[in-house]
Amino acid sequence: MLDAQSHFEQIRDTLPGDGQARAATLAAAEAVGLPTRRVESWHYTDLARLLKSGEATGVRTVDFAGVKALEAHFENGLLHGEPQAEGLSVAPFSNTIAHTEAPSPDTVMASYNHALAQNGLTAEVSGTLAQPLVIRTSGTQPVHLAHKISLAAGAKAVLVDDHMATGYANVVFDIHLGEGAELTLLRSQQAGHQVGLSRVTLEQDARYKSVAMISGGTLARHEAHVTLKAAQAHAELHSAVLGHGLSKAATHADFTYVIEHQAADTSSNTSAYNVLDGNARGVFQGKIIVRPDAQRVDAQMQTRAMMLSEGAEMDAKPELEIYADDVVCAHGSAIGELDRDALFFLRSRGLDEATARQLLVAAFLEQVTTHIDDEGLSEIMRQLVDTKINTLLGNLSGEVSS
Amino acid sequence: MSSLLDIKDLHAGIPDKPIINGLSLSINPGEVHAIMGPNGSGKSTLSYVLSGKEGYEVNGGEMVFDGQELAQMSPEARAIAGLFLAFQYPLEIPGVTNMTFLKTSLNAIRRGRGEDEMDAASFLRLAREKSRALGMDDDMLRRQLNVGFSGGEKKRNEILQMAILEPKLAILDETDSGLDIDALKTVAEGVNALRSPERGMLVITHYQRLLDFIKPDVVHVMAKGQIVKSGGPELALELEKSGYAEYVGGAETASEGSPAHA
Repeated sequence: MLDAQSHFEQIRDTLPGDGQARAATLAAAEAVGLPTRRVESWHYTDLARLLKSGEATGVRTVDFAGVKALEAHFENGLLHGEPQAEGLSVAPFSNTIAHTEAPSPDTVMASYNHALAQNGLTAEVSGTLAQPLVIRTSGTQPVHLAHKISLAAGAKAVLVDDHMATGYANVVFDIHLGEGAELTLLRSQQAGHQVGLSRVTLEQDARYKSVAMISGGTLARHEAHVTLKAAQAHAELHSAVLGHGLSKAATHADFTYVIEHQAADTSSNTSAYNVLDGNARGVFQGKIIVRPDAQRVDAQMQTRAMMLSEGAEMDAKPELEIYADDVVCAHGSAIGELDRDALFFLRSRGLDEATARQLLVAAFLEQVTTHIDDEGLSEIMRQLVDTKINTLLGNLSGEVSS
Repeated sequence: MSSLLDIKDLHAGIPDKPIINGLSLSINPGEVHAIMGPNGSGKSTLSYVLSGKEGYEVNGGEMVFDGQELAQMSPEARAIAGLFLAFQYPLEIPGVTNMTFLKTSLNAIRRGRGEDEMDAASFLRLAREKSRALGMDDDMLRRQLNVGFSGGEKKRNEILQMAILEPKLAILDETDSGLDIDALKTVAEGVNALRSPERGMLVITHYQRLLDFIKPDVVHVMAKGQIVKSGGPELALELEKSGYAEYVGGAETASEGSPAHA
């Protein structure tokens, strides 16, 4: 981790916006400090320890360059290329989000982001974007990015968050979906330490779908706060983790969601698929809140984990907070090993053991990939999964740290 | 003529529990043998021991398939050698399409035999032809493996795998279980279409009904881990009338031995 104060002094002159306000925000954040495991929302993710561990891991270059896409590339925080397309307007980064509340341990990482954000994509979409918009994050330096994405009523877009940075990254997405707008956010993290927060609000009839794939890096904390504000808004959050590595080089992937149904006739569907080898650790915390007037809400939440080694760990904590009486909410959690009967079945059909294992792991994660509607993008995700399984999990014998 | 499968004095089971107790059986190419027997007689165990399921151990005797002793071979090596087990309870594997699975399987076996892999277009033609012959919708090839398939569709899918892999010996483990009469007929037709002078079949069943549709050359009665009687098709009819009582020696019927995960 970085020393936030000296990092601030170093980059202060390059930061846009009100330096005084940033200094004050930083001071307030520093007074709270990094969240510890005593903070409930961080109970399974020991941030200070994880930020110390894990050297920069090799980045596989399965990327989205093969897809015809608009691209905003942030390298060490610097933006290369500004995406231009019909229906897309991009404004210079300004860091103007009102952030007046004093930070609590739950929100302090957002305060750090606000104090230190050096760049980010500020984009407004009207109409339908013909191509996916790729935000690529690369580099080795500590970086704070704050993206603001807004879809006007009826707008449609596919956004790809291609995270390949090997250093520390604190990334905030503020996303607003106007009436009837549809956004798919595809996220891939292949390296580094990322502390991410997405704040998503949906107006009436809006649809939000996030599909995340963590295939590398030693810390992937993805927190999402999704607010469904009006009828027929629908949110889906699907995540896949292909965790591997031993001790300090092990993947730690944490998805922490708060999905708030503020209005009646809204729905959400969440699934999390974790494949954990070596000493990898998967965390899933999903809270569904249904407000008193939000009748006829349908909220589903599923967690599945496939444990490939005894040294791996999965923590799943679904929570329902329901204040309306006419709702359908369900959550389920299943943690198991590779299905031995399925393995035998495949081997009895001629597949060698390694191939059979790889096929079963790929099939498990396919249940997330299948949510990507765009064929080009889903193909890239499949390639990513296959490549990772072949190179990293080629020897799926269940390596265990001594 | 040398046997396709030659089992001699086989002793096998799960750890600390013998289930097959000195079983001998010989199948020639072109023959269809049926094994009948009460629950717990070891029929399914025999199919698992022959196909190499983890958790089962061979404690004595021989099982020579097409000139090779099976006991030390991996399940995949047995498949490559031409052994096929149609499962009593076919598994569902979400996330992999039937088509992908079938192609991966066929090409694994071809590679194992030193043959070239089949290209995608040729495979698609083959799969369509074989599945249509079994009265299966093309859609079933695109669907995820056995996910949402009815009992009959799952069993038909097993026969489709057999039709594509063209084994030398097919073991059908209670292929009739869970099938209504129409599904049973369709599956049996599929099996009969695969009868050939080169291929042997071992049909394991609890009921005579399946044998009305798949006519065996030889019928064996299995009890307490042994073949206790062998005969022609008429033996199956006798059993239908008299039951297994005379073979089990009283009411004792042990539960079918299998490891906890089976």
